[in-house]
Amino acid sequence: MIFENMGFYFREALLSFRRSTLMSIAAILSITTILLIVGFFLLISVNLNLFLENLESQLEIIVYLEDNISQAELSTLTNNLNSITGIKEVKFVSKEEAYQRLSKDLGELKDILSAIEKNPLPASFEIQIKDPKTIEQIANQVTKFIKVEEVEYGREIAERLLNFTYIFRRAGMLILALLVFSSILIISNIIKITVYARRNEIEIMSLVGATSWFVKSPFIIEGFLQGFISSVLSTIILYNFYFFAINKVHQAIPFLPLVVDKVDLLPIGIAIVLLGSLVGVLGSMFSVGKYLNV
Amino acid sequence: MIRMFHVDKNYPNKIQALRDINIHIKKGEFVFLVGATGAGKSTFLKLIYRGIVPTKGQVIVDGINIARLKPGYIPYLRRNIGIVFQDFKLLYDRMVCENISFGLKAVGATNFEIRQQVKKVLNLVGLENKRKIKPHLLSGGEQQKLCIARAIANEPLILLTDEPTGNLDPYTSWEIMKLLFHINIRGTTIIMASHDKLMVDKAKKRVVRLERGRIIEDTQRGIY
Ligand SMILES: Nc1ncnc2c1ncn2[C@@H]1O[C@H](COP(=O)(O)OP(=O)(O)OP(=O)(O)O)[C@@H](O)[C@H]1O
Ligand SMILES: [Mg+2]
Repeated sequence: MIFENMGFYFREALLSFRRSTLMSIAAILSITTILLIVGFFLLISVNLNLFLENLESQLEIIVYLEDNISQAELSTLTNNLNSITGIKEVKFVSKEEAYQRLSKDLGELKDILSAIEKNPLPASFEIQIKDPKTIEQIANQVTKFIKVEEVEYGREIAERLLNFTYIFRRAGMLILALLVFSSILIISNIIKITVYARRNEIEIMSLVGATSWFVKSPFIIEGFLQGFISSVLSTIILYNFYFFAINKVHQAIPFLPLVVDKVDLLPIGIAIVLLGSLVGVLGSMFSVGKYLNV
Repeated sequence: MIRMFHVDKNYPNKIQALRDINIHIKKGEFVFLVGATGAGKSTFLKLIYRGIVPTKGQVIVDGINIARLKPGYIPYLRRNIGIVFQDFKLLYDRMVCENISFGLKAVGATNFEIRQQVKKVLNLVGLENKRKIKPHLLSGGEQQKLCIARAIANEPLILLTDEPTGNLDPYTSWEIMKLLFHINIRGTTIIMASHDKLMVDKAKKRVVRLERGRIIEDTQRGIY
């Protein structure tokens, strides 16, 4: 029955578009606007996330070694460090490298190093970790290894940074949840208005003996089309706006980390289209149900 | 065809619209339902097509207890019942013929059947030359006729008409009455709620009188 009448349902849905063109256009524009706001916030939040990850990845543990470490001890230590779980990368900086770095950093002032006979700088390991939250625990673990002189990880800065990113992420999630929730409410209300305008039709259909699916189907198709068209429209606008905007931003602030990969943005587009279509379908289904006299 | 046993209907605002209604209407009968405004006539009709369910008692329509009917089966009950509403309930953004075909499509008629039936019922009520216009251009009596045409289009067993001659001149009213008699003679059970003394007296059919929700009189060949 449902599939038998598919053609009829589609024709009815399109007819209703034609009968109330203004209403449909108004609905589509309103839904598009809501989804633009949601999408805009999603874009901001993925970029914010990238920025926070960038900040966090700058946290590292530096392990200074005792000068009298032997070659064998050094390779055991390297192995031990590498076997710690949660470590992304371990980089060895020899005494010579440290010296060179320093003299490079000093630039013009490097002559002052010649006042010192012996290289005073210790060899070290620079450890990057996967999850910044584990930094303290890993640092403590490393302290216990032999021939480790000192472990440094900027405890205070790390803590503050982690606190900051935590609050930022939580706030972002909260705002996003509120935004999605209210957009669902607003979109389903817009759909409800278009259904309300045709409540007589729904009542009469059910009084002459149409099954509830027969009554609902054209509305569901119409709701789907309204949601789908709006979400595709807003995705197109959003993408064009976004790539235009990040171009400008990159010209002004070249080092700012921004999501530029189109593939990385795909989930946002999919989320918006899903949100729009799903709310369109469910919104019309429930609204029609209200006016069905059964 | 229709039986009610000790039916009460209370609306949510505590109004007792019907009280202890007992009635038996046989197949093919023509029944007038009379009574003052607010007596419960429309409520009585709504019970039959299950627009509402009784607060107490049983309503049996064509062997079906409407209070126990599952929502999924309601459409099938209604396909046996044609309704002419007190407030018309026409779709004013569709043409006359579409107002009829729309209901037929809803009950699963084929396009061929729809064309046949639309033509047939419009001929019967005398609106065939107005089939391509919108209902708001029709006169009051013509809109009544359109409602009747729609109600009988799928050849129901029962026809419920709520004041089908309200606000019409006696001549047009009698025309509509004759149309209803014609439908009745072909076997359709008709219940007609009416204030129209002239028509009720002229018709000499069974009259059921309601007063404040109770049946106070039920006479064969009665008068208003
Ligand atoms: N949906 C409703 N909710 C609450 N009360 C209602 C509802 N429908 C009807 N009533 C009340 O029930 C009583 C009976 O109403 P009903 O419409 O059956 O009267 P009626 O005999 O058809 O009157 P009329 O001749 O004016 O059409 C009235 O007092 C009315 O106010
Ligand atoms: Mg009434």
